[in-house]
Amino acid sequence: MNRVNPFNRDRRRSRQQTTTTPSSTSEADRAATLLNRSGRGDQTAFAELYDLLAPTVFGIVRRVLRDPSQAEEVSQEVFIELWAIAPRYDESKGSPRAWMATIAHRRAVDRVRSEQAHRDRDDRHANRNHERNVDHVSEEIITSLDHERVNNALARLTASQREAVTLAYYQGNTYRQVASLLDIPEGTAKTRIRDALIRLRDLLEVTQ
Amino acid sequence: MNQDHHLAAAYALDALTPDERQRYEAHYPTCEICAAEVSDFRETAALLAAAASELPPPSLKAQVLAEVGTTRQIPPLVPEPVADLAERRRRNVPRPVVLATAAAAIVALAIGFVSLRDTTRNTTVDDLLAADDTIITQLDGGNGTVSVAWSASRDQVAVLGTGLTQPPPEQTYELWLLTETGAEPAALFTPARGAISAVFDVADIDSTGWGITVEPAGGSPQPTTPILYAGTL
Repeated sequence: MNRVNPFNRDRRRSRQQTTTTPSSTSEADRAATLLNRSGRGDQTAFAELYDLLAPTVFGIVRRVLRDPSQAEEVSQEVFIELWAIAPRYDESKGSPRAWMATIAHRRAVDRVRSEQAHRDRDDRHANRNHERNVDHVSEEIITSLDHERVNNALARLTASQREAVTLAYYQGNTYRQVASLLDIPEGTAKTRIRDALIRLRDLLEVTQ
Repeated sequence: MNQDHHLAAAYALDALTPDERQRYEAHYPTCEICAAEVSDFRETAALLAAAASELPPPSLKAQVLAEVGTTRQIPPLVPEPVADLAERRRRNVPRPVVLATAAAAIVALAIGFVSLRDTTRNTTVDDLLAADDTIITQLDGGNGTVSVAWSASRDQVAVLGTGLTQPPPEQTYELWLLTETGAEPAALFTPARGAISAVFDVADIDSTGWGITVEPAGGSPQPTTPILYAGTL
């Protein structure tokens, strides 16, 4: 899990002196303002919102899909969808980042599963699922304070919790697939994912 | 339902099976504890996403902004028409209100994630929905919602759907006119981002209902896969 080059990280951090706290309130407020303006048809605001959150959207889509050109295609669809439904964004339902990440992850996972279903119908390609065990991490991952904070939190999970979250979220598996990949009962997989996410929520101090 | 209370984490990570996801999406908004958990876990998942941040290729921004310029946004949420629609159905109101019902059906569909980008085509959908003899049939089965609006005088149908699963590459959805003796091909369509809103010309035959299957690109003369969505006229 420890894939951060600390030297690289420090170098990057010194360039970002203005960022004092990760996912700072001001950034969330700015995203909310931009999203509300986008919802009223403001394309300039949407362009700014893109700059703010495209790395998160593209990053998670790419992580799940792995293939860069597919990731680009799905990310584009996600952004157009976000634009189209921006008038329906409801701040009380979550931060702009949560809203966008939810849609981006859902679309990436839908793409993976529709392709899986397609392949499963094709006997020649049975067992491809195991390929998903390999967790490719791009060299170009942006080392940010979020990255560091989340990796510190992930490091404090048990190894089996971390594995379950990685297989589920970063690799787009259902808890049933996680159970089968780890050869554990489905109930155990479900509990492990739940315990891991509760721990992360508490470590990352996420509360509404 | 008790067991569903523990699904918030798996749901927020998109780790439920489609059936469970659908069931949980019906449950959690009605359960205070689950709704709060989903909200927290989504913020947590978003941090996991942020930790995977990666700069997209610069070309992506240009492509997105170009498409934004030609993509219509859905109107802000107005929940009333849906209740209105249900109410009208219950009271089984006569003809003149059916037109309003057709318009309300569009609003109801739009509450899903619908992107309406082709204004010309949407005018045609509106025209069809406003025709005197249009019959709207909601089809059952599969993911999402799909309805067929059929006008016998125009020999046209509008297919309106949202939340549909994208057919695999090289495949398409095919709409069938179901008859006493089998099925006749009616239309081929591929949703964009799970949504479809399009008008097709159909044959003038006595149909008993509608069916939708997934077929190889280009369509089939007869269904080659089980019917995914069906509705009776």
